[in-house]
Amino acid sequence: MPRLIIDEREIEVPPGTKVIDAAERLGILIPRFCYHEGLGAVGACRMCAVQFVEGPVKGLQMSCMVDAQDGMVVSTSHEEAVEFRRFIIECLMLNHPHDCPVCDEGGQCLLQDETVSGGHGLRRYQGKKRTYRDQYLGELIAHEMNRCIHCYRCSRFYQEFSGYRDLGPLQIANRVFYGRFKDGPLESPFSGNLVDICPTGVYTDKPSRYKARRWDLQRTPSVCIHCSLGCNTVANARYREVVRVEARFSGEVNGHFICDRGRFGFPYTNLPGRPRTARTAGGECSQGEAVAAAAEKLREISSTFGPQAVACFGSSRNSLETQCMLKRICRLQGWQVPGFFVDPALERRVRAAVSLLDASAGVSMREVERADCVVAAGVDPVNEAPMLALAMRQAFRRGAEILVADPRPIFLPFPFIHVPVSMERMDSFLEGLARLAGESSDGTGVREADLLSQIVQNGGLASSDLPLPVSFCRALFGSQNPVVLCGTECVRESTLPAAAALARDLRKGRDRAGLLYVLPGANAFGAGLLNSQGHPGFSRLLESVESGSVRALIVTESDPLNDFCHRDRLLGTLGKLDLLVVMDFLDSETARMAHVFLPTTTHFESGSCFVNHEGRLQYAEAVHHGGIPIEQAGGGSHPPRVYRGDIPGEGPKAAWVILAELGRTLGIPDRDLLGLGPWSLIGEEIPSLKRLEGTVFPPEGIRILSDGDPVQWVQGPEARDGEDDRGAVPPGDFFEILLTHWTFGTEELSSRSGPLQKVEKEPYGMMHSDDARVLGFSEGDRIVLSLEGGQIRFRLSVADRMGRGVLVLPRHRKLAWRNIPEMPCFVPRDRIRREDS
Amino acid sequence: MHTETISPLPAKGRQLLVCRGTGCESQKANLIFGALKDEIFKAGLADDYKVKFTGCHGLCQMGPTVIVQPPGTFYCNVAPEDVAEIVKVDLVEGGKVDRLLFIDPQSKERVLTYHEMAYFNPQRRIVLRNCGFINPEDIDDYIEVGGYEGIRRALSLTPLEVIEEVKSSGLRGRGGGGFPTGTKWEFCNKSPGDQKYLICNADEGDPGAFMDRAVLEGDPHSVLEGMMIAGYAIGATKAYIYCRAEYPLAHERSLIAIDQATQRGYLGKGIFGSDFDFEIKVKLGAGAFVCGEETALMASIEGKRGMPMPRPPFPAVKGLFGKPTNINNVETFANIPVILTKGGDWFARVGTEKSKGTKVFALAGKINYSGLVEIPMGTSLRQIVDEIGGGIPNKRKFKAAQTGGPSGGCIPAEHFDIPMDYENLTQVGSIMGSGGLIVTDETTCMVDMAKFFLSFTQKESCGKCVQCRLGTKNMLETLTAISEGKATMEDLDLLLELAQDVKAGSLCGLGQTAPNPVLSTIRYFRDEYEAHILRKECPARVCRSLIKFQVNEAACTMCGSCFKACPVGAITWQKKQPAHIDKEKCIKCRSCILACKFHAID
Repeated sequence: MPRLIIDEREIEVPPGTKVIDAAERLGILIPRFCYHEGLGAVGACRMCAVQFVEGPVKGLQMSCMVDAQDGMVVSTSHEEAVEFRRFIIECLMLNHPHDCPVCDEGGQCLLQDETVSGGHGLRRYQGKKRTYRDQYLGELIAHEMNRCIHCYRCSRFYQEFSGYRDLGPLQIANRVFYGRFKDGPLESPFSGNLVDICPTGVYTDKPSRYKARRWDLQRTPSVCIHCSLGCNTVANARYREVVRVEARFSGEVNGHFICDRGRFGFPYTNLPGRPRTARTAGGECSQGEAVAAAAEKLREISSTFGPQAVACFGSSRNSLETQCMLKRICRLQGWQVPGFFVDPALERRVRAAVSLLDASAGVSMREVERADCVVAAGVDPVNEAPMLALAMRQAFRRGAEILVADPRPIFLPFPFIHVPVSMERMDSFLEGLARLAGESSDGTGVREADLLSQIVQNGGLASSDLPLPVSFCRALFGSQNPVVLCGTECVRESTLPAAAALARDLRKGRDRAGLLYVLPGANAFGAGLLNSQGHPGFSRLLESVESGSVRALIVTESDPLNDFCHRDRLLGTLGKLDLLVVMDFLDSETARMAHVFLPTTTHFESGSCFVNHEGRLQYAEAVHHGGIPIEQAGGGSHPPRVYRGDIPGEGPKAAWVILAELGRTLGIPDRDLLGLGPWSLIGEEIPSLKRLEGTVFPPEGIRILSDGDPVQWVQGPEARDGEDDRGAVPPGDFFEILLTHWTFGTEELSSRSGPLQKVEKEPYGMMHSDDARVLGFSEGDRIVLSLEGGQIRFRLSVADRMGRGVLVLPRHRKLAWRNIPEMPCFVPRDRIRREDS
Repeated sequence: MHTETISPLPAKGRQLLVCRGTGCESQKANLIFGALKDEIFKAGLADDYKVKFTGCHGLCQMGPTVIVQPPGTFYCNVAPEDVAEIVKVDLVEGGKVDRLLFIDPQSKERVLTYHEMAYFNPQRRIVLRNCGFINPEDIDDYIEVGGYEGIRRALSLTPLEVIEEVKSSGLRGRGGGGFPTGTKWEFCNKSPGDQKYLICNADEGDPGAFMDRAVLEGDPHSVLEGMMIAGYAIGATKAYIYCRAEYPLAHERSLIAIDQATQRGYLGKGIFGSDFDFEIKVKLGAGAFVCGEETALMASIEGKRGMPMPRPPFPAVKGLFGKPTNINNVETFANIPVILTKGGDWFARVGTEKSKGTKVFALAGKINYSGLVEIPMGTSLRQIVDEIGGGIPNKRKFKAAQTGGPSGGCIPAEHFDIPMDYENLTQVGSIMGSGGLIVTDETTCMVDMAKFFLSFTQKESCGKCVQCRLGTKNMLETLTAISEGKATMEDLDLLLELAQDVKAGSLCGLGQTAPNPVLSTIRYFRDEYEAHILRKECPARVCRSLIKFQVNEAACTMCGSCFKACPVGAITWQKKQPAHIDKEKCIKCRSCILACKFHAID
């Protein structure tokens, strides 16, 4: 461990640490522009120059380029270094416009800080400034090239780190321009990070322009809830409005960056149409009146039909507190055990994932970055959990071999091996890989070719498109730190244990082999933890409603009409209910059907816990106290000129608080509800989390998969009771429909974001070009899919790198996918035809 | 000329050598070659003479050239129409075509053969040993003069023995750095790695330098052979020639050479019966000067933007595609086969104590014979300029020589006798560089020259480091202000300060050396800068803003040269009357100044 002295203070750092980082550990922030911890050193800005007074390196050197070594004596305030840095600042300011007062970056601008701290104030240079023509980069990022100081952070992030090519440096010398070949929206779904990393105001957050100055913002650490990864963010609010979301560094989860879905997906919390007043059949009323009305009706139904006539339903976007309170009330009142997913198969898959993920296997995204071999099964990272794609890219950049087995056409921002195994054959494919791995640990020698052909056979792959090169098998054998990724949205239930088995087999003879499940929703893990035996499944619930045995339904921050396939059936069923209570912050279709509606707060307004895919319990702090944004309440005039004692629109409360109030009204003592406090509440409902009580919540969250003995958190789904065997492909010529997510436009919350609606694609369906040829279709054709529930019309896109016999449709609101009766869904070929023009 | 052919030039048969390097080719050398073949056939001499095209022999100024060998009759400035006469007079009648012979600049007499020419005679050709004598597109021609003997010998040695041989020769990198080649190879040899790469840097970007082009155009096989030897020594099996796209002929001939060598089995698997595999690819550069810098060059081969990266890690540890890589210049490689065949000791006998062997210079500027010259290290600048280059036209005085192109500096007249080697050049504030040598006389303004080189580096900066990107631009603006008479003495101080900052703060050689022309011209010609600033005068009459375009009647000899030179009739002159310039009509083209031998126009 090298020991060195920086500014007369000694520090010992791990080998390979750069001097700039060593100084930072001492709390000395050496000025820098191009150096970024996430992007590494490049040595372009020359700003971090320090004087090496003694030791193996001498003289003025860039501290980002020099590894800390024994015996170094470094001065950051040496006269020569200070003068050198002053010169750099002066150079950079030659061309930088003096537009700080109107610049969106003002107040959070590194260049501003360094200019002031460097002492540059007087302009000596009298020449002209170089200017550029800015580009239109889409609806998310504003471009202002005149401000550029050419640190190359943007191009390094965009091209090297995230693997997209459409933005980068053009020209040379003093004419270097960062932009696209021509105007147009940025292709990367990670483009928002340009805003965070640009040390000045070249790239600014377009939707939040002119909303607030940095120093006026309320800022709190938050967590992204647009997928299961739980990336750390900073929420920024001003005037009761969430204005902007930025990435927050998390060593284990997202590193320095987040995706655009997480960054620009927040506007659902500000929408003018967001319901903020409670409602009963008699119209708008106070929250208390609505709770009382709901309680009275519930009491009535309970006494008439028994408590089992009341059912509750949550979702994977509920906070953990809400999920726990929901379960608690149900238990205390004797209501039906609550469910969280409209698709019973998905619910089982989530439970399976949570039960299979023990501490010895579960990995964070950071660990995916360090993997040297990655097998991904049934997961489409860019679309389902975008930041996972970036983590995989970092693994690729470190030399990892990456294989994705998925029948869908998969795009990733790096080269990888795509094996279009069908969902049905996925298990045997993974089993084959596991056998391969087993061979290597036996030391019995490897019969790659044999195994390979076996895998290909098992995977139902045509030998003509044998896409699994021997080199990958060799990489898998030789890997020290492999990771298995597995999706939950489209795979069969049996694929989850198959993935776990592969990880387990890989662990033999290795230090480590990771397992990561991508789950459906920010708190799907929490739902999985709570969702043990007793819940009948959503379909059974609907049957109970239809048969009249369930009379009341309490829906908590969930929109079954959005998620459920068979829309007409659900509409009819909900209509049969005596009581439909809906609590939500969204103006959802289900909410509009409610007999009693109770508005809730978003996680921006009341702090909430979420458990991400790896079982990391994270807390998102409230950034503001709620209420209608001033911009809306004041009708554009600010400040409001009329005095009122309350905050307009402050009615909504956190769903779990409303549930507690409902419980209290129904006669449950307060000490069993709100009196518990959130920690005890969680501990009561999830016994394995009881040990967390009283724990101080660390900033990086708590990994509830303990490092010690694996704790059986939750029982896996019970063996199927012959209810269905729907995974099997029916005999005959069928297409399997795969309903998938897209980065933008399908996720429930972010698809309500105005800026993201402008960047999302028009929905289209995809099939293999061979299938299209057989059916006589070609790219761009309008296709009609006729199902029992109705028709689905879409434009067709064909691809070569995908499975045959598969039709991939996005869960896009502009596509009538809810006409699909249930999933999985197999359609005969004659049901798919071209729409005649 | 002393030519280090490995085996003596074939004496059998007579040959007609037509130079088809880029310079001569651009003046219809292809037509001359065709016409010569026709005429020989017509004259019935097809069996007696072999007509052969060659690469550049160096004296580009006098091209296109045809050499009748033996005895080495050197015909200059040949046009296609002259071919019939050469065949008739020389080959059939046994005479000489007098009007096409070279005229000695000193004695004004016609010189019959190149052996007797002052241009060639003092040269010692190791690198250019075959240039101008063999057909670069015929591998047999190369083999005939002893080609591919070096690699045969190398393969009989161990890689470390090969490195020892190169180390003992004292060969230093000819691309400009001057780093000992053997030591460089040793680093790469000892660097662990499953795959190693070798790169030949043929991205010759210095304005006025064309040594590498001439070697690739004239003797590509010697470069290939040098690369094979280096590949064997360091353990590389894959190699690249990074050639700039502005060198189409060099590119084409490299490809032909690789193709021929591959067909012979000299490249590929198990070459010359050994277990050594070696393949060479040519990568075209897009013409960025910075891609001559090794890390930028590697980035370019990898398909990335050509920008330098900090070292360490050095290419020998982590180079192309992250693998150990060795990069040498074309000229360095061309030396290697000779070292292997003749031995490192033999090579070390040429040159000075620390600079061994020869150096090829591209002689240009205010000189009678511009072209390529190869001289032993330690030859004096005076000999190169006065003897080989034939002195300065119009009997003007030598002012300075710029070596090392935009990265180098100038050598003023006071150091005219300097022996040219790495150490001496560094001592006087210049560098050897890749071999550009630009001669200036009293009609060259040193401010203007500094401005020229700086505008080149300023434009060619990759744009990575602040100092190089912005500092050079500021320097250029200050220099422009000086050349326009708009600067003060404080600006000169600012220029020096900026120069120091740019030197200190740039990552790669381009930025670190960009201020050199400015620094060295200020060092030796500060008076010229002061004249521009204080007296608002350009002593060399180059900076247009400072020229009055007025005839100095005291100096005027009333010769009328300026009157004849003026393209717009702005000068009035009568015999025995001083000329007069009408400023209304004058377009400031400087034709009169260039025409006046007496410096009589202010």
